[in-house]
Amino acid sequence: MTLTLTRRILLGTAFVFGLAGAAAADYPDRAITLVIPFAAGGSTDVVGRIVAERMSADLGQQVVVQNVGGAGGSLGATQVAEADPDGYTILMGTVATHALNPLILKQKPYDPVADFAPVSLLVLVPNVLAVNPELPVQNVQELIDLAKTQPLAYASSGNGTPLHLSGELFKAMAGVDITHIPYKGSGPALTDVLGNQVPIIFDNLPSASGHITSGKLRALGVTTAERAPSFPDVPAIAETLPGYETYSWNALFAPAGTPPEAVARLNAAAVAAMADPAVVARMGEFSASIVASSPEELAQHVKAEMTKWEPVVTDANVTMD
Amino acid sequence: MELLSNLGLGFSVASSFANLGFCLIGVLLGTLIGVLPGIGATATIAMLLPITFQLEPVSSLIMLAGIYYGAQYGGSTTAILINMPGESSSAVTAIDGYQMARKGRAGTALATAALGSFFAGTVATFLVAIFAPPLTAIALEFGAAEYFSLMVLGLVMSVALAHGTVLKALAMVILGLLLGIVGTDIYTGTPRFTLGITQFADGLNFVALAVGVFGIAEILRNLEDEHERQVMTRNINRLFPSGPELRQIIGPVLRGTGVGSVLGILPGGGAILASFASYTLEKKLSKHPEEFGHGAIAGVAGPESANNAGAQTSFIPLLTLGIPANPVMALMIGAMIIQGIVPGPGVVTEQPDLFWGIIASMWIGNLMLVVLNLPLIGLWVKLLTVPYYVLFPIIMAMCSIGVYSVNSNVYDLFAVAFFGFLGYVLSKLRFEPAPLLLGFVLGPLLEENLRRAMILSRGDPTTFVTRPISAGLLVLALAVLVLVFLPQIRKRREEVFTESDG
Repeated sequence: MTLTLTRRILLGTAFVFGLAGAAAADYPDRAITLVIPFAAGGSTDVVGRIVAERMSADLGQQVVVQNVGGAGGSLGATQVAEADPDGYTILMGTVATHALNPLILKQKPYDPVADFAPVSLLVLVPNVLAVNPELPVQNVQELIDLAKTQPLAYASSGNGTPLHLSGELFKAMAGVDITHIPYKGSGPALTDVLGNQVPIIFDNLPSASGHITSGKLRALGVTTAERAPSFPDVPAIAETLPGYETYSWNALFAPAGTPPEAVARLNAAAVAAMADPAVVARMGEFSASIVASSPEELAQHVKAEMTKWEPVVTDANVTMD
Repeated sequence: MELLSNLGLGFSVASSFANLGFCLIGVLLGTLIGVLPGIGATATIAMLLPITFQLEPVSSLIMLAGIYYGAQYGGSTTAILINMPGESSSAVTAIDGYQMARKGRAGTALATAALGSFFAGTVATFLVAIFAPPLTAIALEFGAAEYFSLMVLGLVMSVALAHGTVLKALAMVILGLLLGIVGTDIYTGTPRFTLGITQFADGLNFVALAVGVFGIAEILRNLEDEHERQVMTRNINRLFPSGPELRQIIGPVLRGTGVGSVLGILPGGGAILASFASYTLEKKLSKHPEEFGHGAIAGVAGPESANNAGAQTSFIPLLTLGIPANPVMALMIGAMIIQGIVPGPGVVTEQPDLFWGIIASMWIGNLMLVVLNLPLIGLWVKLLTVPYYVLFPIIMAMCSIGVYSVNSNVYDLFAVAFFGFLGYVLSKLRFEPAPLLLGFVLGPLLEENLRRAMILSRGDPTTFVTRPISAGLLVLALAVLVLVFLPQIRKRREEVFTESDG
């Protein structure tokens, strides 16, 4: 505690005497912590670890991954929002931490715009609408028609997740009612759809892709506006429901007040990492499309996402305390 | 033939240099803690859980499994040599094994235990290999209603099979259920019993609870009274049993393997119950029941085979349904989840190398145990003299670092301290922590599946009895419940558990 206080005072003093520039010139001179707000093993963790490794090489300092899971990503995001804005603590943000949670949570632990300095939007990850092959529908239109005649249910990775809201947006735009069955994560949800306990699922494309390839799931549509390059035969839902578009995304954020020089340095390292052929290949396997944006573009993106999701969240009446 | 190619895949995974190494570490560690009275397999696996996160999934599970069955071996060593079962499942072995040792036949008893365990381990490994895949096909038929009924059966069994009074076991299950409720309700997103602490939004950390209730509590209890440890080392005779002795143990080993394999699969059962059942069976079948308690070799061979077979077959429900048969398997589920593997029917098809690798490693581990154990007995005995005041602080420090590293959450450490203290108080009051852990794991699944089944059936509760598998499981649960409360059975049950406490 004393140590951090002293460091804060020193930093403050440095700013006062106009030495911030000099300090930033040496940046980074020690290891950087990348907080991943989910448990290890998930898609955000995989993206984060790949990027951290490449950024370490570029920055000449180790980028250490720290998993701070819990509360749908809010714990890790809060930790970074409250961290020293010195460029040594950054966050792997997602659509959950920077669009959905702030809309859903009644008590807001952080402000996704005011508390963060955007660094770079790294990747977009498509979601997919898939059904058990025993469900007698071949495309999105047939599913909508069937849902109008009989009660159906869809599985998702949990209440308030991007997949749940992708399902709610689908219901709203198609004008159908399908019962939502939340699970604790994608894994158990997939298991029940494969066993035909629940006929329909909204899932991240990377997590469902193996079952789609093996034919155990029938993919009806991807949620991105365009078809996914890894599954050119699977139409976009937007081909049936024009304007339908959802996806998960991963982006780097620093705490608000981080020196612009540090943000610029981090952005350069992130953009370089995303251009690395090995990273490009891994992201391709993952069905993730690379963006590697500027900080300004990420700030715009966060605002656009919040505007897009707000009515969906309100209409679906999803809230959490 | 498919079985052979699958086993081939398993052996190729398990015999990689690194995995052989982790298997060796696992069985050595297992034997070590099996030898040390007080620290059990559950506590050790709980404490190592966070560290395994850094390893490959298959390596970490191979190592943890090795600890589990290694402990069964080590536990029998101390049971025979110092009449102190290092593991509760070796409690029965101590009855006749120690008497054999006092008569100068310690070597024979140790070799019988090792050979019986190896034979049982080999058979059980094949049983897992043969039965697990077809069972996973049935497992896919399991929907929310079936899982709910299975949880009911599991909870009833864990009460029925716990030590001590039914009432205390029931209290522990319910405490476990209540602790399991802490966290965000997955259907409505409402936080429950979190005391407004965001860190508890995802529930209490399973690893923290397990490390506290089992690890820390056991350490506290052991520090309180360090037992006199009198070691029967002077009397180790030749190891290998003679011809007549071999003939005497064949029957008990075969029966013990059978009994153990069946009981291992049942929820709540596992190695402890298997060894008791086998001992009772051998005593009944023996032409000289009066020898039991005075060094009957069958009283070592049967239970030792049974506990090892039970330890192995309890992997079947874990690997097929993702349901723990006992607290150690609950910890294995934790280990899989940390690694991002969802335990359940998908494991066989999606991760064949993991599935078959673990099965093959069980056999390799058993072989290592036979080869290592007999020559190393002298070393294990020496370890009994390491003072606890050196051992325990090291273990506690490692635990804390490990728990913190999973989620970098300070509250998990508070939880370890709290549950360590709670576990200590409970053990003072003679409450068993095992039903608590099972309640904690099964409770949230019970609720989740109950509500999911009700949503899917649109509020119709008959879904639980109109689906055949679900109805069958509920009938079974009811039968167990009736049996537990029948006066005759109740008396028998108390007898068995009194022996184990003694």
